[in-house]
Amino acid sequence: MIAKHVRQGWTSGPGRWAMGLLALVLGLSALIVAPLATPAQAAQDSPAAQAVHGRTFRVATDTTFAPFEFRDSSGDLVGIDMDLIRKIADIEGFSVQIQSLGFNAALQALNSQQADVVIAGMTITDQRKQVYDFTDPYFDSGVQMAIAKDNDQIHSYKDLRGSVVAVKTGSEGEAFAKQRAPQYGFSVKAVDQSSTMYEMVKSGNAQAVIDDYPVLAYGIAQGNGLKTVTKKEPGASYGAAVRKGENKEFVAAFNEGLAKMKADGSYKKLVDSYVGNSNSDKKTSASRPGFFELVRQAFPSLMLGLRNTLAITAISFVIALAIGIILGLWRISPNRILSWIARIYVAVFRGTPVLVWAFFFYLGVPQLIGHRISIWLAGALTLSLNSGAYLVEIVRGAIDSVDVGQMEGARSLGLTRRMALRRVILPQAVRIAMPSIINQLVIMLKDSSLLLAIGFGELLYQAQQIYAANFRVTETLFMVGVIYFVAISALTWMANMLDRRLHQ
Amino acid sequence: MNFEDPDMDTGRLTRRIRQNQSRRNQGESQMAVSIRDLHKRYGDTEVLKGIDMEVKPGEVISIIGPSGAGKSTLLRCINALETPTSGTINVYGIDISDPKTNIDKLREHVGMVFQHFNLFPNMSVADNIMLAPHMLHKTPKEDARQQALDLLETVGLQEKADARPTDLSGGQQQRVAIARALAMHPDIMLFDEATSALDPEMVGDVLEVIRSLAEGGMTMILVTHEMAFAREVSSRVIFTDAGIIEEEGTPEQIFGHPQSPRLQSFLSKVL
Ligand SMILES: Nc1ncnc2c1ncn2[C@@H]1O[C@H](COP(=O)(O)OP(=O)(O)OP(=O)(O)O)[C@@H](O)[C@H]1O
Ligand SMILES: [Mg+2]
Repeated sequence: MIAKHVRQGWTSGPGRWAMGLLALVLGLSALIVAPLATPAQAAQDSPAAQAVHGRTFRVATDTTFAPFEFRDSSGDLVGIDMDLIRKIADIEGFSVQIQSLGFNAALQALNSQQADVVIAGMTITDQRKQVYDFTDPYFDSGVQMAIAKDNDQIHSYKDLRGSVVAVKTGSEGEAFAKQRAPQYGFSVKAVDQSSTMYEMVKSGNAQAVIDDYPVLAYGIAQGNGLKTVTKKEPGASYGAAVRKGENKEFVAAFNEGLAKMKADGSYKKLVDSYVGNSNSDKKTSASRPGFFELVRQAFPSLMLGLRNTLAITAISFVIALAIGIILGLWRISPNRILSWIARIYVAVFRGTPVLVWAFFFYLGVPQLIGHRISIWLAGALTLSLNSGAYLVEIVRGAIDSVDVGQMEGARSLGLTRRMALRRVILPQAVRIAMPSIINQLVIMLKDSSLLLAIGFGELLYQAQQIYAANFRVTETLFMVGVIYFVAISALTWMANMLDRRLHQ
Repeated sequence: MNFEDPDMDTGRLTRRIRQNQSRRNQGESQMAVSIRDLHKRYGDTEVLKGIDMEVKPGEVISIIGPSGAGKSTLLRCINALETPTSGTINVYGIDISDPKTNIDKLREHVGMVFQHFNLFPNMSVADNIMLAPHMLHKTPKEDARQQALDLLETVGLQEKADARPTDLSGGQQQRVAIARALAMHPDIMLFDEATSALDPEMVGDVLEVIRSLAEGGMTMILVTHEMAFAREVSSRVIFTDAGIIEEEGTPEQIFGHPQSPRLQSFLSKVL
């Protein structure tokens, strides 16, 4: 999600010009080189091909950015980027080792020499050209408007007066829409995901969307219920990137392969198979799968998501419980300092949203300490520190509600305060607090879905990845809802059983 | 509690208490409890207004008086559940408000029985009794349990060893509470209205246990509303009213020939 915003936010006009110029230069050099190499040698023996022959390049890409990279129903990574780089590797005689990392992670991998190439629907911009070298542009993007399939009122921007147009936050489409809104008298509503925009149009909350042309075209090809009535607005172009000054052989080979594919028509065929608006040769939408087929396809990644959700919840819960008990005891301690530490902790974490901490731990702290923080650590810190604050109050409340006579009874026997707390007060407090603790566990499991904002692969995140590729939003969300419900019901049932067992 | 002193040589206190007791046996007069000019105030209200009181070893003292007189407060000061505002309290010659005194250690020698029993519902009857000896005297589990069973037998509840306190009647719970206090072999027992929360038919069993303790020579201070019982078991009766000791004497003097008008009017109401 974030990756896309960054990508689209970087699109710029001058970049297009510079890129065009580069393309021209590279194209010319290819023209110069090619006559020298031919006719004596066969294609794979061109100098460019020779330079890369037998080599393996590590290619980093995004996780899901349909139609450029996404997983098909059998879980294979496909898309325009994937098909293209594999085909070019074939033609030029090198091999690729693809790593699906997410957009920002892919760039990081490239910077830190973990990868040689990034191909991820990446817009060629001036800023980026200062850091990377790009191949020839392999795809001309741009934005386009779409409306509901059954809408016959809107034929052009003029018909949008008084309508709501959905766009993606930070995208080229948003910039375009905002610029045209005063002229045509529509209002703009920015949301986070393409699939959300399409659902808004279908549900009547918006009358049109303006989105990246390839994403939109792919969605329509997938049967997302929209249609286009206007032409695409010219915009950015995509290229593959390497570290500046390195892997020049790759760039040359890629450009040569691309030129060949364009020349023999296989490039057009490949692109049309994803975004073509005719019914010809659609690789992924030959038939719209039924619900049970959808369940079958989504099942593996949803189960992976569920596993991650349960794992992060379990880890965080154990930490939160420890925090809750220890700081709960500090809170009631006669030691003023400990008691104030606990108070301040509770106030801070109850007074701030979970999401703020998720971003803080994942994006903020690494910049402070100069060391990256794993997403599991950031996620567990976020959930456990948040829940811990509530558990401190639960534990304190439960200890308070144990009859004072219990403490006096224990102390009158000569037990120390610490012994009395451990052997007499806490066991009773935990019993009293059990329903609230179980409740907090359920809240935590549900809150774990917020971690999708930092790209943690939990259940709802996996669902978003699925419907970002297949646009079956309603059905996918339904599945996720059922899984959450079953998981939470089972968890509650087990916790209650355990509670009863322990206290018989 | 501000008086905890975990570094104190705990053996020393015990030795001193035992020494003091043996001195008594040699004829020296050593008070079990000695209270001088005890004041206790809660905010603006003064609940105890200068109490002087002495309890000799082996004595059974009953404290009577109207509600709100400060009887519980006085009793709770003796084992430091309340901190006096001023005045001194000595238990077997040890000043309990001295910061160097280890209050936890002292409490091992002062058993207390509460109106509402205060048994621990999270453990069995036997575990309630074993807890303190096991944790503080490091008595092995088996020995502690055997002792618990013996104590339960003396209060007539041996068959309830593995029951939960909440499954017992009030009278049974209070007898368990007495057994629990006795398990630490206290030198003095404090009872704060031990029978007030009980159904009338339960009162007899509990009083029976207290009576046999008195007969066994246990030093005891009883806050009670059971006048007939006080008259029967006490060596001395103390009448408190409005934070002072209004009158004290033998049961005969207090119940047979009350002097002060307040005691007379109090007795006319309760008898
Ligand atoms: N923790 C406290 N804070 C404020 N006031 C208190 C506190 N404990 C007791 N008091 C007050 O002190 C006075 C004496 O209380 P205490 O419990 O000692 O009386 P009592 O003689 O035991 O009465 P009863 O026969 O009703 O038990 C009462 O007026 C009571 O309200
Ligand atoms: Mg009282």
